[in-house]
Parts: sequence; structure tokens; C-alpha cells
Amino acid sequence: MTLAELVFLVLAVIAVGSALLSMTSGQLVHSALWLVVTLGAVAGCFLLMTAEFVAWVQVLVYVGSVVVLVIFALMLTRQSTGEKSAEVTGNRWLAAILGVVAAIGLGATMIAGFRGEEIEGRRIGTAGSIGHALFTDWVLPFEILSGVLLAALVGAIVISRSGSDR
Amino acid sequence: MRSLGRHWVYVALTAALAVAVAIWAIPKVDDHGFFGALAAAPSSPPPLPSLSPDLFLVPAAAQIALLAVGIGLLVQIYSTAYLGHHPRYRSYALIIVLFLGAMLAVVGTSNLWVLLVGWEVMGLCSYLLIGHEWQTGEARAGAAKAFLVTRIADLGLVLAILVIGETYGTYDIIGAELAAADGARSSTAIGLLVLVAVMGKSAQFPLHTWLPDAMPGPTPITALIHAATMVAAGVYLAARLFPLYADSEVVLTAMAVVAGITMLLGALLALVQTDLKRALAWSTVSQLAFMFAAIATGDPEAGTDHLLSHGVFKALLFLGCGCLMRAVGSSALSAMGGLRDRMPTTFVTMTIGFAALAGIIPTVGFFTKDSVLHAVFEAGDGDQGVAGPVAYVLLVVALVTSFLTAAYATRLWVLAFFAPAPDGRAVHEAPRAMVGPLVVLAVATFALSIGQPFHHGIGVLGTLVALGGVGVVLWRWHSGSALDWSPRPLAAELGIDRAYDHWIPSAARMASRGVINVDSDAVDAYPRGSAVLSDAVSKGLSLVQSRNVQRYATVIAIGVVLLTVAAVVWS
Amino acid sequence: MPLLYPLLLAAALFGVGLYGVLARRNAVLMLLGVELMLNAVNLNLVAFDAWFADAMHTGQVLTLFTITLAAAEIGLGLAIVLALYRAVRTIDVDRVGEDV
Repeated sequence: MTLAELVFLVLAVIAVGSALLSMTSGQLVHSALWLVVTLGAVAGCFLLMTAEFVAWVQVLVYVGSVVVLVIFALMLTRQSTGEKSAEVTGNRWLAAILGVVAAIGLGATMIAGFRGEEIEGRRIGTAGSIGHALFTDWVLPFEILSGVLLAALVGAIVISRSGSDR
Repeated sequence: MRSLGRHWVYVALTAALAVAVAIWAIPKVDDHGFFGALAAAPSSPPPLPSLSPDLFLVPAAAQIALLAVGIGLLVQIYSTAYLGHHPRYRSYALIIVLFLGAMLAVVGTSNLWVLLVGWEVMGLCSYLLIGHEWQTGEARAGAAKAFLVTRIADLGLVLAILVIGETYGTYDIIGAELAAADGARSSTAIGLLVLVAVMGKSAQFPLHTWLPDAMPGPTPITALIHAATMVAAGVYLAARLFPLYADSEVVLTAMAVVAGITMLLGALLALVQTDLKRALAWSTVSQLAFMFAAIATGDPEAGTDHLLSHGVFKALLFLGCGCLMRAVGSSALSAMGGLRDRMPTTFVTMTIGFAALAGIIPTVGFFTKDSVLHAVFEAGDGDQGVAGPVAYVLLVVALVTSFLTAAYATRLWVLAFFAPAPDGRAVHEAPRAMVGPLVVLAVATFALSIGQPFHHGIGVLGTLVALGGVGVVLWRWHSGSALDWSPRPLAAELGIDRAYDHWIPSAARMASRGVINVDSDAVDAYPRGSAVLSDAVSKGLSLVQSRNVQRYATVIAIGVVLLTVAAVVWS
Repeated sequence: MPLLYPLLLAAALFGVGLYGVLARRNAVLMLLGVELMLNAVNLNLVAFDAWFADAMHTGQVLTLFTITLAAAEIGLGLAIVLALYRAVRTIDVDRVGEDV
């Protein structure tokens, strides 16, 4: 077992464990912070899989903005009767069963299909190579995506404004 | 005939019907024999239930059809004066036409289903006409009773038709009778069912109670029902289907017993009535039993002959009774009396009618009653119809009934025309539109007796018996004793109605209680079970309609997992 | 490195995310569960890209797209949650329907 594999396994354990804590924590803000740990660990995994650029984007976008957004949302919607708000609902046993079934099903499929395959890391996903791919082969989807982002931006503003007008 | 002017439309309608029937029926009257030539039947009768008219008249049916339209026309003319100013005269007159049409459907078809339709329409018409004065509770009760009793009996006819169809494979009377000529089958079942049907329609014991209670109907209608249509249909049917059950001893004996009981009962009750119209009604019951006696002893022709003559003189008597009622304003015998001088035409014609009822020669009533008695006597040697001893008992009963008939006819005659009149009233003869039909019928009472057979021994015996009945009453009258005697059981009409009132509701209550139990325990289990089931299902389904986004998402996830598993398993 | 490592990690994260979406009462935390599931997908994309050594870097580019879309999604989702909160003063998903 190489060092990279060892580090990957450690990161994987951290990611899954903090994800579980995030999804079961009784404190809303703790959930968000545990998610930061998870996302960071996943970013580390990206790095180990030769996807440097994606790893940095993950850290910048997710850890940097999404989680901040979430924490703001949690603070804005703090409820006076919110003691129970962080808890899980009565649906949790069914949800747990479904989650386990989904994970096992996916894992079993992966094991059945890709056992013994190795990642050799022949092409490093540097900012240069990704940027080259993005602006040659993927330029059209990239532009469309910008349109989607713009629409989401406008939509978010409209939804927020119409609520405050009332 | 002033009032004829306003109502000529209905009279003309009836007259047109009568003329059409006459053109159709008169040539058929003189075919040979009671049933005519069966060879003239349609060659291939329809094998399945159909409502094709299948018009076909046997000679007896032709006679009855002529009688029906003839009396119907006279009644219609009579009604213009009797009921012309009634606010509902129009519907009344039209229902009479419908009534006649239904009667023609019964006698003029060889299709049993068409016959059934006519039969039921007649029941409906009698209900409507008996209840014509529906503002009185009596009329409503009488109409409902007539309808219910005949309805119960109609069930017998429906079943009889079905049995005939099953047995002979045809619903055509002629086809069935041709098949029965080769060997009758199921004759006891068919006969008993037919007997039930005609017992209701022709008011035979124990289903006779509706006929006297039908008296609140307008008098012309009573004449129509008693003479030409409703009750005649029963006798006609029994005679028409006679070949289908002629070889069943059980049926003929039952019919003879019913006839014997009914004729005696009717005559006794007619003797004690204090109401002229009701007495005549009981007289009808008794006379109809005479016809059934003839059929039971194997001579349906004598039965239908007596039906014709009885139709004529009973229509005469009822229409005369209507004249008297119009004059004195009541049908009670106590209100009458002394009407001989004031109403000469009515007196003469009704005298003829009473003579025919009593069986005095030379009215037609004598000859046809003579034929009936002769048929019963002939059956005594056991060659046809019921067994010999039964026939002799029936003959004795018939003679006693003849005696009683003559007695009550005389009593009614005396009380109506000779008894001292109540004081202070002015009565006048009825208008010509009412008297005219009486004269026509009185002439017919004599005219029909032309060419009737005469049986020496029985004829003399019958005449003696009738004269005895007349004589006894006249002797009592002259010796000054009252003619009103009414032993209590007879006055209450033997309590038969009370027994019905008591037993039928209690039986119905028990039956309905049973039905309720079955319904609540067995039948309701299904709706209740389905209610529980749908409740459970809807509770289950409400989980996916919970307004809870998370539940929706869960259901979707479950669905995705299941679909994936299914796809993996089956691929 | 075996390909299975990131794939199994992705499967585990996906299961946890699914549990979060279906079990958390708070609408914002439900959105966090969605983010977890998206990250599991991203892991798969990157792992297959590295394993396949694709000249177009399809997997990594698509991961970038996914991250972008996830950002848009959570922006819109949080806007909706805020509007919901202003409307019914709660974002507990099992209580939102009650008051209507």
C-alpha cells in the first residue's frame, strides 16, 4: 500500500465520519461546520486523484461560499420555537434503511463492475489542462452554464424580493 | 241526449273502435266449435318471446270482443249523461277506451306475452277507474285493494306463461294447444298457476274481496268491469287455456271446489246486503263461479256462453242501478222503494235484468245457466272434467245457489221498486242517454236467447228451483215480514277481510323482519367490509398525500430503489 | 490506487446524504444532504476521469459544471427557504403543511 492510498483512506474515513456527524448533529451550526470538514476531505481526495484544479474549486466554491451561505441562512431562519428544529423527524428509520440500501446497492454495483482496476494518474488535471479543455472542447456548455447561473441569480433575487414586498 | 254534444268525441272514438272490432270479429263468430278450426292457425308460431301482435280470434274470443266493445259503447254513451259534468270526465272517458283496448288485446291475440300486457293494462285501468273519485278515502282504498289483489294473482299468470313456454317451447297459445293435443305435459302446474291468475282477476274465493270493495267507482265503470272486461278476462283465459290443463284431475277439482265455495258465498252475501250496488257485486262473484263450474266440468263453451249472457244482464242491472242512484242520490236499498211508477222504463228494463239473473225463461240468463247446470250434471258420470262425486256435489251446490240467486234477485227487485218509499222526495226518470242503453241491453237479453239449446230435465228442475226462490221471497213479502235479515257472520262478510287485515300484515312483518336480518347480517357485510377496506386503503394512500415534502421524497426514493432492484433482477 | 476506493467512498457519502435529505427536519439541512449527494457524484466523475485518462478531461470538466450548478441550486434553494420562512414562520418540513 502506497502512501497515497493510506492518505486517501484516512481522508475517506474523515469524510464519511464527519458527514454522519453533520447529518445527525443536534446543533444546526455544528451540522454546517461538520459539512465543511467533509467537503474539505473530499477536496483532499480530488487532489490525490490528480485533479488539482477541481480540488481548489471545491475548496473555493463549497467551503468558501456555499457553507457561508448556509450558515447565513441558518441564522436568518432561527426560530423562536426552534428547539426541536435540528432534530431528525419520525421518518428517520425509513430514511436510514433507504440510505444503507442505496449505499450497499451502489457499492455492490461498483465492486461487481470495477474490481481490480487501478488509477495510474497519467494525466494530471492542472489548471492549464482543464482550462484548455474547457475553452476548446467544452466552450459551448460552459457558455450555456453561465446563462443558467444568471437565471439562478435573477430567480433568487425575485423570490427574495417578492417575499419582502408582501 | 243534450250532453252528448259536448262529449261526442269520446263516444265517436269508442264507436269507431266498436265498428272496427265488429268488422273483424263478426265473420269469426260462426266458425265451427268453441276453438274454431285449429288448422286455420298461423303455420309456424314464433318460438321465442316476442311482442308481435299475432292477431287471432277464436269464435268465443270474437263473441267476447263484441260483447266488450258493445257494452263499452253503451257505457260511454251512458256516461255522457251520468258523469258528463265531472271535471275529470275527459281522462275517465279515455281510460275506458284504453280499458277496452286492453281487453281486446287479451282476447284478440294468440301471443301470451301480448295477452299479459293487456291483462296488466286492464289491472291498471281498473285501478284508475275505481279510484276515479279519489277525493274519498273509500275509493282510494278500494282501488289500491283491487290493484294489489289482482297483482298478486297476476304473478300466477306470469309463471304460467313461463311454464307454458318451457314445456311446449312456444309462447303462442295456438302452438301450445296444438302441441298439447298430442299429449299435454306439466298440465297440473300450468293449470294451478292459471287458476291462481283467474281467481284474482275474476274475484274467486279466496281472492274475491276486491270486487265488492270496488264499488266506490262510478257505476258505469262497475258495469264495465263486472260485465265485459276485467272479470270476463279471467273466465276467458281459463276457458282459452283449458286444453292445456284439461287432463289434470287436481286442477279441475280445485277449480270445482273454488267455484262451489264462491258461488254459495257470493249468493249468501248478496242476499243480506243493504246496498243495491254491493249486492249486485256479490252477485257477480257468485255468477262468475257458475262459469268456472262449467269450465271445471269440462265444458268451457257453456262457461263463456254464460259469461256473455251474464255480461249483458249484469251490465243492464248496474246501469239501471246507476239510474236509481242518480234519482235517489244513494245506492242504499233503504233510500229506494216505490220507484216503479216514477221510473217506468228503468223498472221494466231492470225487471228483465233481474229475471235473467234469477234464471226465468225466456231470458238468456235461463238458457246459459241451464247449459252450465247441464254440463255439471253431465260430468256426474265422470266422462269429462272432475270426478263424478265432485260433480254431483257441485250440482247440488249450484242448485242451492240458483235458489238463492232467484231469492236475492227478487228481494232486490221488491225492495227497490215496491217497498214503501221514504217520504218527501221527487224522483224523475233518468235522461235518455242513460235509459237508451238500458233498453238496448234489455232487448239483447231476449235476443241472445234465440237459438240457445234447452235441456229438458235440468231445465225444468232449474226453473222449479228459481221459481221456488222467487216464491219464498214473495210469500215473505206478502206475509209482511221484513226482507232485511242479516246474521252477523254474513253481515261481516264472514270476516275474511278481517282475517286478511290481521294475518297478511303480521306475515309480512315477520317476512320483512327476516329480510332485515339477512340484510343487516349478510348483505350489509359487503358494504361494511368494503368501507373498512377503502378506509384502510385511503389511510395508506394518505401517507403519500401528507403535505409533507419529506414523505414525498421518501416515497420517490423507495420507488427508485425498487425500480433499480427490479431492473437488476430482471436484466 | 485502486479505483474502488473513491467509488466506495462515493457510495457511502451518497447513502449518508440520502439519509440526511429524508430525515432532517430543518429545510436548510435537507439542502446540505443534497450537497453531500452531489459531492458523491463529483467523486465518481473525478475517479473515472483519472482512471480513463481522458484527453478531453470530461469527468473533471463535468465536475466543475456540477459544482457550479450546485452553487446555483443552493442559492435558489436558500432563497426559497427564506421565502417560506417569511410566509409561515417555520422551516420545519413536517410543520409547513400543518398550518395551511
